[in-house]
Amino acid sequence: MIRHLLAATLLAAPVLSTAQPIDAAADEWEGIVNIDASMLYADYREPWNGGQPMSGSGTGFLIGKNRFLTNAHVVSNATKLVIRTSNDPEPHPARIVFIAHDCDLALLEAVDGSHFDHLKPLEFGGIPKLNTEVIAVGYPIGGDRISVTRGVVSRIDFRLYSHSGVDSHLSIQVDAAINPGNSGGPVLQDGKVVGVAFQGYSGSVAQNVGYMIPVPVIQRFLKDIEDGRYDHYVDLAVSDFPIENPAQRRALNLKNDGIGIMVGEVEPGGSGGDVLHSGDVILAIDGSPVYNNGLVRVDGELVNMNEIVERKFAGDKIEVTFLRDGNEDKANIELKRFEPYVKLGAAYDERPRYVVYAGLVFQPLERNLMDANRISNPQTNYIFDNYLSDKIYVDLPEPVVLTNVLADEVNTFLSAYRQSIVEEINGRKIKALSDVPAALAAAGEDKDFVVIKLMENTRPLVLRRDLAEAAQARINQKYNIREAAYLGTK
Amino acid sequence: MKTLFSILLLATFAASALAQQPRPAKGKPSAPKPAAAPPALNAAPGLARDPIIKTQSLLKVNVTSQAYNVHLPWQKESPSARRGLGVVMPQNHVLVTAQMVADATYIELEQPESGRKLPARVTAVDYEANVALLQADSTDARTTEFFKDLQPMQLDTGVRIGDALSVWQIGQFGDLIVTPMRISKVETARYFVDGSVFLVYEGAGIVRSEGNSFTLPVVKGGKLAGLLLRYDSKNQVTTVLPASIIEHFLKDSTDGKYDGFPNLGVEFQITLDEQFREYLGMKPGAPGIYVGKVSKGGSAAHIGLKEGDILTAINGFRIDSRGNYKDPQYGTLSISHIVRGKAYVGDPVTIKVMREGEPLELKGELIRKRPEDEVVTPYRFDRGPNYILAGGLLFQELNDTYLDAFGEDRRSGTILRLSHIAQHPEAFEKEGRKKIIFLSLVLPTPSCQGYERLGGQIVNKVNGQVITDLQALKTALEKPKDGVHAIQLGEFPHLIYLDDAAMKRDDQGLINGSFRVGSLERLE
Repeated sequence: MIRHLLAATLLAAPVLSTAQPIDAAADEWEGIVNIDASMLYADYREPWNGGQPMSGSGTGFLIGKNRFLTNAHVVSNATKLVIRTSNDPEPHPARIVFIAHDCDLALLEAVDGSHFDHLKPLEFGGIPKLNTEVIAVGYPIGGDRISVTRGVVSRIDFRLYSHSGVDSHLSIQVDAAINPGNSGGPVLQDGKVVGVAFQGYSGSVAQNVGYMIPVPVIQRFLKDIEDGRYDHYVDLAVSDFPIENPAQRRALNLKNDGIGIMVGEVEPGGSGGDVLHSGDVILAIDGSPVYNNGLVRVDGELVNMNEIVERKFAGDKIEVTFLRDGNEDKANIELKRFEPYVKLGAAYDERPRYVVYAGLVFQPLERNLMDANRISNPQTNYIFDNYLSDKIYVDLPEPVVLTNVLADEVNTFLSAYRQSIVEEINGRKIKALSDVPAALAAAGEDKDFVVIKLMENTRPLVLRRDLAEAAQARINQKYNIREAAYLGTK
Repeated sequence: MKTLFSILLLATFAASALAQQPRPAKGKPSAPKPAAAPPALNAAPGLARDPIIKTQSLLKVNVTSQAYNVHLPWQKESPSARRGLGVVMPQNHVLVTAQMVADATYIELEQPESGRKLPARVTAVDYEANVALLQADSTDARTTEFFKDLQPMQLDTGVRIGDALSVWQIGQFGDLIVTPMRISKVETARYFVDGSVFLVYEGAGIVRSEGNSFTLPVVKGGKLAGLLLRYDSKNQVTTVLPASIIEHFLKDSTDGKYDGFPNLGVEFQITLDEQFREYLGMKPGAPGIYVGKVSKGGSAAHIGLKEGDILTAINGFRIDSRGNYKDPQYGTLSISHIVRGKAYVGDPVTIKVMREGEPLELKGELIRKRPEDEVVTPYRFDRGPNYILAGGLLFQELNDTYLDAFGEDRRSGTILRLSHIAQHPEAFEKEGRKKIIFLSLVLPTPSCQGYERLGGQIVNKVNGQVITDLQALKTALEKPKDGVHAIQLGEFPHLIYLDDAAMKRDDQGLINGSFRVGSLERLE
């Protein structure tokens, strides 16, 4: 009943004082470069601030003319990127061309690509077999020069990508040492890239465990961006429940052939929302039979049925054969991204959104906010925790939290109400942060007052409009807030 | 349950070195003569050191208690011991706190000096007011003999702030240890179970830890002024359950029908915020508090109080902006005491409110919503949790005892979700549910193959029947369709099936097999 997410550590190294490696590394690896990133970590507690400057370092590799592949987490929140190679003392400024946080991949280019024209891009291989040897090449901690570690392929499985914290894709476990700084570097077999090193395993339980992003995930990313933009992964937005119980099999009218998985949960608004119902049994996806445990056979291997969805793109269709009340049926489902899911994951390269009114700070409820603030309000925790499971997103696409009350005479009685979720302002329902400014400006039942109704609170928060508006400039000046609101670019 | 001090094992001695002054047997136990009262105790600190102050009104009370396991409700936890002091009351009754006897399996009374013991049982208990009355569980002859030299203690309900009281303890050899304390504050505070807020006295002073940690009597001039509710050793704050609450409990229990303390059932908000007052139309200096919530089944709802009302007076007492009134005895005090401490169920009550700018007077009588009438039972002692075990699926009533057992885990995951449901049972109540039934656990049996990881789902329907309580579940489980039970859950996976024949086979296995489940259900 409680899912344990395995703790995974991302492998971008903290910055090291970089003595320039002037060395002739093996020619074939010249396209494997070190990436130095200067980053700005958004401040979700004081969202009007620029953020905290940080720096980090990782690996990338040339895959085409002035195109370097690396991990998204190596270059996330970057304000400045520099590429260095092992036999060139010069730092080369670079920039992100595409970044995909949901599969932790990014494509970079050097501002002046001519320096790299003479280098040979690396080639991709396929999915390596279990127990075959691979090497990881990169710039991990422990020195400045290029490093090589060796190991075998230990496991090929679907698992959580910790960069977003909510996306699971195919990943390959290797026992080659993969350390901070290896991130974004290639894992090679027979001279060809079979993966991008990206995460390890934290904690003392597991040993010699490193993970790489396999070629199908990389190629999906490269294909997705062919049209000039990244469209993200799509999701069926359906949770399946294995059929192991004989009574369940009988009641659902299934043959005893091991085929079929029950639909447990269907997310309204998700790709499958209009087609599938809880209690349906999925028999096949795109013609491949789905076994009772949710696996399908792809290229001779048994893999999670989501793997079929994984390889599709936004707008693609998938054919689902299902059983409902004993009757077999077929439907084509158009696949799309499931937005509510995204809020539960970490966000990068985004300026925090907020509204400050008379010292009351309103922010959207999302993972970054929860991580930055110690939210102790049980109602707010409940809403975040059950945003999906209790379908809160249907009525409340973006819960808004009164995160802080910046003390001033006008709001001195309201400080106890921080961390609560805002239900209404001046009689208008608040379904997203963008509703807040208009609702604050709107005249409610009594135009002389601004009335804010919080979830779970039995009294409205009341501000006299004239006093609140007079306080606005004073409070913003005192608390060093340059802009009273930032609502995003949309 | 909190132990007040560390509980030390106490050696009992058959004989005491101190000579006992013989006393005549009581003629009418219910009417103790003033002359027969224990030696008057002056609570002045100087006298507290006198080692030979004696009392005939205290007994040691030894309790063995054993709570049920909330996760495996057919089992009990390990028994534990509590030792405290009981105060002798008229008719050979002994007064202790309810906390002391919660989930008791064996209670005995012990004479401090002689060490003689007598089994006892609970005759009346109120877990909200945290008081219980014990009676000997023995023959009349033994009981009379045991109580013959004991003197009932009288109550003193006239304590005021500043009064000097003393806490009584009994040492290893039956000697009385008297610790002075002075009442510095009178307020309302939580007693023992959640939500039970009553009058307390607070005093400063160090209470040393002795073997008898629970239910220490607090005495003024030889009369019982209250029972020690808790002692905070870090801040040296003593909290006392006052005699007025004990008196209320005793009066109520004399007629054999215990009504308990009435409740108002109002969540109110202070009105100090000028902008809020202006919005509500309250004049500067006007009295009253904002009624934020009126709970169903309480006295306030009963007499027609509404959310948004401004409550200005109860029974003639003016309510200030913080929700306090001026009590003639104790000074500024929360209005909850007017209903919860002073009044009885059935007493008339008059409430003055401002509704939509107009004054209004509401009259009616005080009632009490019993804990068992709540959809989510707030507390339950002495009886095990209700449950039904079917095949391996364990169904329980959602209640606070279950949720409290998780402690810090309530902050996230399944328990946070269930806690949220427990705090918002209104939607379930509207559907006509008397209790909220949930699948709490799945024991690994063949009939439950594939369901082992489930737990924490609300049960909506079984075989098409809405599950309003465990009895409804029991009835529904008698009607499988084609030998299969269809169980609809409120959450993922929403629907599970159970084979009736396999379930019955597994039920037998659960009773006779390694789980040693004594009974497949408890429906009390």
